[in-house]
Amino acid sequence: MSAGHTPRFEEMLPAYALGALEGDELHELEAHLATGCDECRRQLRMWEADLEEIAASVSPMTPSAETRQRVLEATAPATQPAPARLEPRRTRSAGRRGRWGWLAAAAALALVVWSQWNVARLRQETADLAQERDRLARQVTSLQSERDLARAEAQRMAQALGFITSPGVRSIQLAGLEAAPGAAGHTFVDPRRRQAVFYASGLPALAPDQTYQLWFITDRPVSAGTFSVDGSGRGNLQVDGVADGVRTWAVTVEPSGGAPQPTGAMVLAGQA
Amino acid sequence: MSRMAAGDGDAFARLFDRHSPVALGLLHRILGGRAEAEEVLQEVFLQAWTQGSRYDGERATPRGWILMLARSRALDRLRRRDAARRRDEEAGDEQARLGISSPVGTERLEARERRDRVHSALGQLSPEQRRCIELAFFDGLTHTQIAERLEAPLGTVKSRILLGMNKLRQALRSAS
Repeated sequence: MSAGHTPRFEEMLPAYALGALEGDELHELEAHLATGCDECRRQLRMWEADLEEIAASVSPMTPSAETRQRVLEATAPATQPAPARLEPRRTRSAGRRGRWGWLAAAAALALVVWSQWNVARLRQETADLAQERDRLARQVTSLQSERDLARAEAQRMAQALGFITSPGVRSIQLAGLEAAPGAAGHTFVDPRRRQAVFYASGLPALAPDQTYQLWFITDRPVSAGTFSVDGSGRGNLQVDGVADGVRTWAVTVEPSGGAPQPTGAMVLAGQA
Repeated sequence: MSRMAAGDGDAFARLFDRHSPVALGLLHRILGGRAEAEEVLQEVFLQAWTQGSRYDGERATPRGWILMLARSRALDRLRRRDAARRRDEEAGDEQARLGISSPVGTERLEARERRDRVHSALGQLSPEQRRCIELAFFDGLTHTQIAERLEAPLGTVKSRILLGMNKLRQALRSAS
């Protein structure tokens, strides 16, 4: 039902279906129907169904065989007329029928072409609509996955914030070294749970076969995992099983997949 | 219908055989003359054939669609018709309106019962209501034209149609 729907429109519908509505009333109702009022459309269909009953209440009459034949010939699949039909008919009346026959055949052919064109056009429209539907479906899927990613990101940030602000968590700052002077990092360690989260920013992009690797150093370096950075040089990592007595946190550049021991340039380091 | 829209000639022949008698009856009822009715019947079915893809199964039954095409064409022709010619044919019209036409022997019982139901529903209207609805439906007259024809106030005609159509609906619903 559209916003402008009133019972007055409903009262106009029977006369409209009958074709008796005219003038301002007709224009008003047509404008209202053009707004797509579902209720009026539903009711109009019901009135049209009632009118079908009135229409069908007349005494049926069988069409003449000639009428039936003409209709079915015109709608039969296009066939070549027999060559004999090309011969002029001798009698006047037959000649006239022959001409009419030719006119009918030409009209029939035109109708067949026309209807096939219509069907082809309809198929094209259907194909276009299907394409449009598929495009929209892909768009929806892509928007859904974007939304899922954003939701996951928000959840992760909420978790991280909860972690960082929980009691007993210590923060360690990592400073950019010579290889990445603009970089900075933070490790938040919860010693009780032996967990840490690490954030870095300002790290340069790496070659595809390289990765950043985070280390915590007790009496020797232990890998805390590898991470990559986004376009703006940000990366993060969640660490489980942080050892007691960590003195230093550091980040090095390593071959893709990481290394058991640091081998590459150190880009970030900070004292616990 | 969908097969017809795809240009299936056999399906179309079946459509013709099923619905042409009632369509011809309607055309005869509106136009009066048999020859003209048969002529328009051809036009209607050729139109149905070429516009099969426009048929909307949600909106109407195939019969309803054919009958509305038939009514619309017949009313167009009626409006174009010469007034003098109409007067000449009034005698024929009356015969048609009284139902003096050859009934179809092979008509299905179900269709006949359905028609009887509609007749009995129409019979429940007041003669004035029925006349107004028939003038609109079979003669294609508007509110104003009906009021002029019946020499009745416009408001009266409008309410006769509204009340009559509602009463008709009730009668059709309770009969089925």
